Amino acid sequence: MAIKGGGGFERQSKTSSSIPESSLADIALLLLIFFMLTTVFRTEADRPIEWPDAEATEQIDEKRDNILYVWVESDGSVWINDRMVPMGNVADVVGPAWQQSGQRLIISLRADANVPYQYVDQIQEQLKAAGAVYVVFGTELERRMTRERR
Amino acid sequence: MAILKKKSKVSDEMSSAGMADIAFLLLIFFLVTTVFPKDRGLRVVLPEEAAEVEVSQQNILHLTVMPDGIVLVRRGESPDESSIPPRQVESLWRTEVAQNPNLIAAVRTHPEAAHRHMIAVLDALQLARAERISLQMLEE
Repeated sequence: MAIKGGGGFERQSKTSSSIPESSLADIALLLLIFFMLTTVFRTEADRPIEWPDAEATEQIDEKRDNILYVWVESDGSVWINDRMVPMGNVADVVGPAWQQSGQRLIISLRADANVPYQYVDQIQEQLKAAGAVYVVFGTELERRMTRERR
Repeated sequence: MAILKKKSKVSDEMSSAGMADIAFLLLIFFLVTTVFPKDRGLRVVLPEEAAEVEVSQQNILHLTVMPDGIVLVRRGESPDESSIPPRQVESLWRTEVAQNPNLIAAVRTHPEAAHRHMIAVLDALQLARAERISLQMLEE
């Protein structure tokens, strides 16, 4: 122990205890460039739908490239990649995407909560025809607290 | 030519002290504005086309979703039907599957029923850890 006459500790290290401010800008810029490169901007706009609620909602961990969003609005119109697709042509749009993805494409089917089920059924038939069998029904997570007790 | 001789007192070097502040400002801007895509929902795997399998009626629990959201329950071939609210499907499935582990949930939805009514039943089944679920449209 380097205790000397005064009873205090004497500084042993010759290293400066101050953080070098000159490199702070470099660190910040490095982080900035990292975030700028990793940020993925949305390529398509969300359709105005009312999300159905579900308690069993789970997070889908899949690369964005492998997810195809199929929107069904409350009037039954179908939107894929910012374009309205007639119901009969959904398989023609999904089919090539399914093949391109190496048959692991996930269809995120985002249907309005109030759309009659017949439209959702027709979409499912089209998806089956295209071979795309992995489907996720887009839902909002429902908190158990907001629901009346069972 | 007095003007030419005049020397500016402003340093022509860029101040590096403010660089960190600018960079951090941009960094915070990007952190705040970045929106992570939310991919959430209920996972299902559709049957492949022409892959229909015959299942014994004993192993089927028929759940019919009506336009008002009420669920009609029918077991296999029995003619008895009972109607329950969708949130009771979870407990129903748990008791039924305890008696018959090979049970399949056949969810038939009325074409006019809102999508959320089907989701409510699917949600209840998934909460009850049902794995074999068939989704169909009710045909008159």
